[in-house]
Parts: sequence; C-alpha cells; structure tokens
Amino acid sequence: MKHIIQQVFHSGKFIVGFVILAAVLLIVIVYPLLIKDAPLAIIGQGTFFPPGTYVNAYDSLGSPKYILNLEHAAAKRIASKLSDDDRLAMQEWLVAAGIPENEIDISNTEQLLRQWENHYDPQTNIAGMTNAKRNYYIRLNASLKGLLSTEGAIIAVKNADTGALEETGDVVAQSDYVNIGQVANVRRLPLGTDNFGRDVLTELVAATRVSLQIGFVAGIVATLIGLTLGLLSGYIGGLVDDGIMFITNLFTVIPSFVLLILISFSIGQEKRGAVTVAVVIGFTSWVWTARAVRAQVISLRNRDHVNLSKLSGHSLVYIIFADILPYVASYVVMALILQISSGILAEAGLSILGLGPKTTEVPTLGLMMNWAMIYQAPVLGKWWAYLPVLVTIALITFSMNLMNTGLDQVFNPALRD
Amino acid sequence: MAKVMLEVKELTTKYITRFQENIYAVDHVSLKVEEGKSLGIAGESGCGKSTLALSLMGYYFPPLHYTSGEIIIDGRNISGMEPDDVRKSILGKEIAYIPQSAMNALNPTQKIIHFIEDVIHAHESHVTKKEIYERARKLFEILGLPESTLQKYPVELSGGMKQRTVIAISVLLSPKVLIADEPSSALDVTTQKMVIKMLRDLMEKKLIKSMIFITHELPLLYNVTDDIMVMYAGQIVEKGTAEQVVFDSIHPYARGLMGSIIVPEQGLRDVKLTAIPGVPPNLKNPPAGCQFAERCQYVRPECKAMSVNLRELKGGRAYRCILSEEELREAYQNG
Amino acid sequence: MERYRKYFLNKLSWFLITFVCAFILNFILPRLMPGDPVAAIVSRMAQGMSNATGVQAIYQQYTELFGTNKPLLQQFFIYVNNVLHGNFGFSLSQYTRTVADVLGASIWWTICLQFPAIIVGWLIGNTLGALAAYRKGGFDKIIMPISIFVSNFPAFGMAIILLVIFGVGLKWFPTSGGYGFDLIPNFSWKFIWSVIVHYQLPFWSIVLISIGGQAIGMRSMSIYELNADYVKYARFMGIKDRKIIGYVFRNAMLPQITGLALSIGTMVGGALVAEIIFSYPGLGFTLLNGVMGQDYPLISASTLIITVMVLSANFIIEILYGIIDPRIKAAQAD
Repeated sequence: MKHIIQQVFHSGKFIVGFVILAAVLLIVIVYPLLIKDAPLAIIGQGTFFPPGTYVNAYDSLGSPKYILNLEHAAAKRIASKLSDDDRLAMQEWLVAAGIPENEIDISNTEQLLRQWENHYDPQTNIAGMTNAKRNYYIRLNASLKGLLSTEGAIIAVKNADTGALEETGDVVAQSDYVNIGQVANVRRLPLGTDNFGRDVLTELVAATRVSLQIGFVAGIVATLIGLTLGLLSGYIGGLVDDGIMFITNLFTVIPSFVLLILISFSIGQEKRGAVTVAVVIGFTSWVWTARAVRAQVISLRNRDHVNLSKLSGHSLVYIIFADILPYVASYVVMALILQISSGILAEAGLSILGLGPKTTEVPTLGLMMNWAMIYQAPVLGKWWAYLPVLVTIALITFSMNLMNTGLDQVFNPALRD
Repeated sequence: MAKVMLEVKELTTKYITRFQENIYAVDHVSLKVEEGKSLGIAGESGCGKSTLALSLMGYYFPPLHYTSGEIIIDGRNISGMEPDDVRKSILGKEIAYIPQSAMNALNPTQKIIHFIEDVIHAHESHVTKKEIYERARKLFEILGLPESTLQKYPVELSGGMKQRTVIAISVLLSPKVLIADEPSSALDVTTQKMVIKMLRDLMEKKLIKSMIFITHELPLLYNVTDDIMVMYAGQIVEKGTAEQVVFDSIHPYARGLMGSIIVPEQGLRDVKLTAIPGVPPNLKNPPAGCQFAERCQYVRPECKAMSVNLRELKGGRAYRCILSEEELREAYQNG
Repeated sequence: MERYRKYFLNKLSWFLITFVCAFILNFILPRLMPGDPVAAIVSRMAQGMSNATGVQAIYQQYTELFGTNKPLLQQFFIYVNNVLHGNFGFSLSQYTRTVADVLGASIWWTICLQFPAIIVGWLIGNTLGALAAYRKGGFDKIIMPISIFVSNFPAFGMAIILLVIFGVGLKWFPTSGGYGFDLIPNFSWKFIWSVIVHYQLPFWSIVLISIGGQAIGMRSMSIYELNADYVKYARFMGIKDRKIIGYVFRNAMLPQITGLALSIGTMVGGALVAEIIFSYPGLGFTLLNGVMGQDYPLISASTLIITVMVLSANFIIEILYGIIDPRIKAAQAD
C-alpha cells in the first residue's frame, strides 16, 4: 500500500493534478473561515459592478483630509473622463463643424477642450448624424463641464425645515486626499458583483464547495451502484450477468442526460436540493464503472487464489471482499475520480438548462453559470460573472483528469509512452 | 563446397532505451549457413535470440540499432546498404522472416490475397493481380493449403491455418534465407508437428535455400536443423552439429538447457532433469568476465575476472569457457 | 451476405428493444413522481396565465389526452396511440401552438447543426490523433496536452469562449439566433447567408469539443496498432512504410467508429447546452424554453425525440461499422 502511494506520487501528472485540486480545496475551506459573509446576500443595488475596491463616498467626506501635491493628478483626472475614443469623437464633431483638421491636436488636452467649449453647440445640426450620436455628444459635453476648473467642491447640507441648501464651510479641494484605512466603510470586491448584486468571489467559493459536494456524492453513488453490479455480474455470471448486462447496455445507449432531464423536471423545482440533484446524477452515470469492474472481475474469476479461496469454502461475500476487491480497487478509484469530475459537469449542464438545485439555498457553479447566461453577461462584457466560474470548473475537471491519467500510468505500465 | 547463403561476421546490435541507455542484445555474433542447410539457435527467453533474428534482417527500426559487423547474403554485403534498398531488394526476397506469434502477424482487416499483392508489389511493380493470384494459388497448392484461404480474412482462419499461411507468404518470393522465430511455440502439439513438417518440406521442395530456426526448446532442434548454436546473454556459448550439441554439449549452459526440459525423444530419456537456477544477467549492466558465471555450477574465481573468448574446435565446433574440453568433461563425470 | 444479415438483424432487434425501453422510461419516469401531472401542470400554469378559460380548456384537453383518471396501463396505451399519431398535445408555454409544431420547427436546426459538427469533429480529431501517434515528438507534445485540456472542458464553456472572442470581441459572427432577427425565413440569398453566418459559432464550438476526446482515443489506438505484430511482419516482408501506415490507421479507426456510437449520446447532450448558449433555435433551446415555461408536454416530447435521434444515429453507425469491418462478419460464423 505504502509502496503504491509512493509510486503514485512519482507520477508528474498526478502531482500536478493533486496540487491544483488541493489548492482549490484549501481555498474552499479557508476562505469562509476568514470572510464570514453569507454567499447569497444581495449587497449591491444594481447589476454587475466591476471588480475593485469600493470606498464609501459619504464617509470619505468626513475622514481626515491630507493635502498631497502630486504631479500628474490633474492630467489623470481629465484622462479618466476623456478617453481616446471621446477625443476622436470630439475631433470628428469639430471637423464637421468647419474647423480645419490640421488645427486640431487631440493629444493637446487643454487646446482641445477650449476648441470644444468655443464651438460646441447642441443645437447645431450636423448632416448624417444619428440621434444616438447626438445624445452621446450631449452626454459628453455635460461630463466635460468644469473639467479644467481648479476650484474645489463646496459641501452643502439641506436644511430640514426650509429645504434650502446651507454651506457647511467644508470645501473639498482638488489636492485633498483621505487615507483609505481611515474611511469607515470600504468593501473589496475582487470579482465584482453578479446580476443580483452579490459578491461574486464569496459566492464562487461557496458554489465551488457545493459543486464539489455534488460531484462527490454523485461519484460515490455511481461508483457504489457500478461496483455492486459489476461485481455481481462478473463474479456470479450466468443469468445474473445476462440480466445486469442487458440493463447496462440499455443505459449505455439511452443518453443519460435525457434521463437526468426527465427525472429532474419531474421532481420539481421545490424538492430539488443539491443532494437530490447529486443522487440523481449518480443514478444515471454508473454504466461505465459497472462495465469496467465486470471486465476486471471476469479476468480475476478463475485466478488461482480465487479458486483456492472457493475450495477452502469461503463465502461469496468473503471472496469478493478479500480476493477480488483489492484487485479492482485501483480501477474503482480511477472511475470514482472521473465520476466526480463528470458529476460536476453534469450539474453545470443541468443548471444551465434551468434544472439545477433550488436557487434560494445555495449557489453552485452551474447555477452561477445559469444566472450569468440569463443576464447575458458574456454579451455585455461582464467577464467577472462567468469567466472565474468557467476557470474553476476547468481547473477542477482538468486536475482530476490529470490525477486519473497519472494513476492509469502507474497501474497500467503499458500506457507509459 | 556448397555455396554460403548467409554469413554474419561479428554482428553487434543494441537497444537504446528512452533513458538513452544502451543494451547490447547481440554481441559479436558470427555464423554461417550453407545452401541446403539449416541452423538452429537456442536459448532461454531474454538471451537475445529473437533480437538476433531481427538483427539478421539488416533493417533496423527504433529502439533497435545497428552497431557493427557484417551481414553477407549469397555473397552480397547488405550491412552498408541504404535502408530503403534493403527493404526493396532484400527483405522478403532474399531473406524472409516468420514472426514469433503468427497469430497476429496478418493485418486483421485485409484479405490474404490483398496482402500477397502488397508483398509482391513492394518488390516487383509490374505484375498484374491475375498473375499474382496464379502464383499464390500454385504455391498454396504445393504447400497443401486450400485455394479458398486466399479469399479469406485472417480472423476466418484457425490458429494452425494462420501459421501455415504466414509461412507460405514468407516464402512467396523464394528467399535464400528463411528465419523462423519460434514459429511453433504458441501452437498445440499436433499443429506444431505440422508446422515443423512444413518447414522441412520447404527445404526439400527448394522453396527456400537455407533456414535459421529459433527456439527455446533445444531438443526440438535435433529433428529440424543440421547445426545448432546456443546463445546466452547476447553471445554464442556453443555451436556444433545438432547431434553434437544435443547429445554431447560442452558448455555448462547448453547442458543445463538440455536438462531443463522433459523430452520423450529416444536416447534422451536417461538424461537427468536439472533446471538451471537463477536468471540471465541484466544486459543494461552486464557483469565483467563470463556472463554465465553467476549461475554456473563449475564456476572458478577467475571466471568473473576476465572476458572469455569463443574456443574453436575442429569441424566448426566452438564453445565459450575458460576451461578446456577435457576439464569440463571431467567435471561432468564427477557430477 | 448471410452473415451480414445475421449481424443486421441482431442490431435491429437490439435497436427496437432499446427504443421500447426508452419509450417506457420516457412515459413512466414523470409518472413515478407523486402527484397528478396534469394537476401540477395546471397549478403551475394558473400563476402564469391570465386567461382562465384557456387554463380550463387545457386542463380538460390534457386529462383527456393523458387519461390521467384511468389506470396506468391504459394511460400507457393512450400515450402510445397519441405518439403514433404525432399527437403530443398543446405546448403550455407557447399556447395555440401544438408541441408537434414547436418541435417540427426546431428539430431540423438541431439535426443540421449537430450531426455535421460531430462528424467533422470526429474526422479532425482522428486525423490529429493519428498524426500525433505517427509523428511523435514536438507535434505530439503540443497536440496532446491541448486535447486533454479541451476534452475536459465543458461544452458550454467552449461555446462561451468562442462567443466572447469571435462574437463580442472581434464581432466576426452574430452571438445569438439561427438567422438575423429582422429576417423572415425564405429562400433568398440574404436569408441563406444569414443562416450560414449564424451557423459558424455553434458549429465550431461543437466541433472543438468533439475533437479533444477523439484525438486522445485515436492516438492511443494508433500507438497500440503501430506496435502490433502485423506491422513488424509487413515491414520484414519489405512493404513500404506508407502502405503499412495505411493498414494501421484503418485498423485504429475502426474502434473509433464504435467509440463514436457509444459516445454520441453524451456528445449530443453537450451540444444541446451549446445551442442554449447561442440561443440557437434547435431542440436545446426549445428544451430550455420548456423548462422555463414549466411546459411538461414540450419537455417530454423533446426528450423522446432526442432519444430517438441518438438511438437512430447509434444504429446507423453500427450498421455501417458492420459493413466496414470484416471481423464482424466473421464473428457471426458460429
């Protein structure tokens, strides 16, 4: 046993797969200990906030101010409001308004803004301009107002009685800074929020955990069924074998996802918990394990040590556990690994079809995918809502397959090439 | 003086493993087969006899590589030839091969006649299918194989039938040398006899000019070949006529090989059955000195110190041992 | 010919048996669940449909259609009779259209998308696998890890990646639908062109998914065959390497054909999900709509049609295989 484990850990492929999977597991276990947010809590009002650090604007007004005179602050401020596309659009408008192209230099921000200020007029009708384009220019113009001003902003408070604005005497100058550590409310959202306004990272970690559990339960169920049927059919043979093989062949050709869809739909949305889905997946994917185990057992059935055991009058159960199981164990472990990874994929496929676990309790990787698809995250360019999910699924299945290939090479030396 | 069909001088070949280790499986082997004669090569599995069979073809593909030595077929040295010339003008035509497991030697999805067409077209490009069929039919008739075999797929043939078909295909182009690598080991006794009879027929009917027969059953060779060579760890340890090697072997290994098999042949019944303890050396790191020293009953301290040369006796006999013939015989006398 | 007929009849009877079993499962699985399916349908629908008379009409029609008030065996024969007449009832989510009508519109999109894609993927995958086995070295070292990665990648993931890169990013192809949303199906060039353009992303994502697994399988089959005894023998009979490679790949290809028959069910499953990603108007998308609209009759009929498609594809492959591989005919001899 020790020798086998040593050998397994000499296989490069197995180690790479094992390390990836261990890292995923570690994150799934450690993250909830550090960050105790509920994974499905809706924190954002609105959909798909991009990844980043969110600083409370109100709190930062009240935080101690520090004056920092930084060189490129003004340029950066302007650049953040005036992208290259905007500059080209401004140039386009100005040219259409009759200014010679060689007088416009879009890299000279100050000159460009002056020209814009002097010439732009929303009333001017430019031939061939669509309504959408016209509105774009109006929006752009509004955002550029006061861009070159060096004045600070004055904070005013609404008088509760009169409704009039009263200055507080607080002025926020352009060179004022607050220390992020002194702002009371700061929230990091490394992967932004999803369509419901939930923290994607926290959700993803919880989803990975649930998906792994689903895969594991599905794998165990499938392996147990497959192992039992394979052992019975291979060892007993005869009519039992014929019967089991008939069923196995049947479920080999009848597509398992059709059964999955039918059963999942029939169970109904209300009763479909994560465990139920896992068990259903397990029940529809035992076929290959049964076949593999049967083939192994048939080749073992007439080995000397089994015959000896039979002659010694050992019981069927004893022979199966002592003389047959140890020899098929490696195949069963490999099959289990594959079943877990395909269980995770099956859950994802089901969820995308809208047949995943009940959505109110726990997230799964498939459900996150489903939500991202329904809210069109890929088309809207909200990569953080689906890409991390895809990467996680791919990492898990890839690592398990690597482990499997590694094991295969250890147990079947002929495949080493 | 009969014509020499195959002469091999100091042939050495090696396997290169994927870890770039060299394994010398054929180590300075020389042999000679004359027209109308047959040579048997015997040895345990792993002694290099099958590799020798592959090496004799003069056509190498990885992991087997040619190192040194010469192969001369009917006066023509093929060692320096381009591989593609060897393939076109030598393989199958001058020297032919019967593989160890003829069971799987034929492409399972091709009719026998189509494979025969491919074989002939590989050497003679302008032969019509009709001519090929006629040739194959005649050959099969001579060898007592039914004509219908030609139109069958290998899966439709029984084991013995498949083996005989492979032999027939091998001699299709009347090769000067036929190398049979354990052609009978996977068959039942009756079919084995039939195959061996067929090989003898080939010689008698002049379909082949000479033959090399490789087996791990030394006594079997007595009925089949004129001369016998015993191999151990890639080297020749004894050679002589069949009679000499089977009944009066000099080298301790050859004697052991005779003793390790129960043979109901006449004159052999009194021989005591003694298996040789141990296994052949690992050729990755061959021991210094005599390769057989580890397992030899009569080993002396100096055996492991110096390399041992083949001792030539008169009449083409030879053996590889530091002891003289008399010393060895005396040792055998004393048990 | 006699032997082939035996093989054919054997396969045909197996096809019929699996078909009957699949049919029974399709009927019985939903009914094993507790509760009256029609009542469940109607209770679900009552939430969505404002037209009360419409709900009542459907309820009546379904009780009649499924015979839910009759014993199970009788229900089964009613079901068989309905299906034989192509009568799957009305779609709940797209009321006034029958299920047969909805499926009739989507089935051809799926057939024309998936089967060519799976076959193209199979061919490319096998070619790559054979090359990897034959050329070894660098080619093998590049192709194999990519294939292993791709074959572990979920079908929908591949679809999304193609969609984001070529649809959203490069804007080469449209991201959804089977044809331009502003067009009405007809035989104009404009429409056909639109169909072709919309076809590309779903097609290639299915092709890419099927390549990986096939390449891996073909590579190990080819390596196995390259080491077979007949290769050595043919070489020593002086046959040219090119001809021998021909034997090898033909023989390695044969198990791949049976492999295709066995895996076509899984492939279709993945491809249906890929359809959903692209909102392609095939069965996958119909199935999604059925689930979203709690449309039981539509789902039941879709799964039945998909099963029939997969079983038929399987049957056709087996039949062709019997013609191609001489060993099959020989095996029927006894």
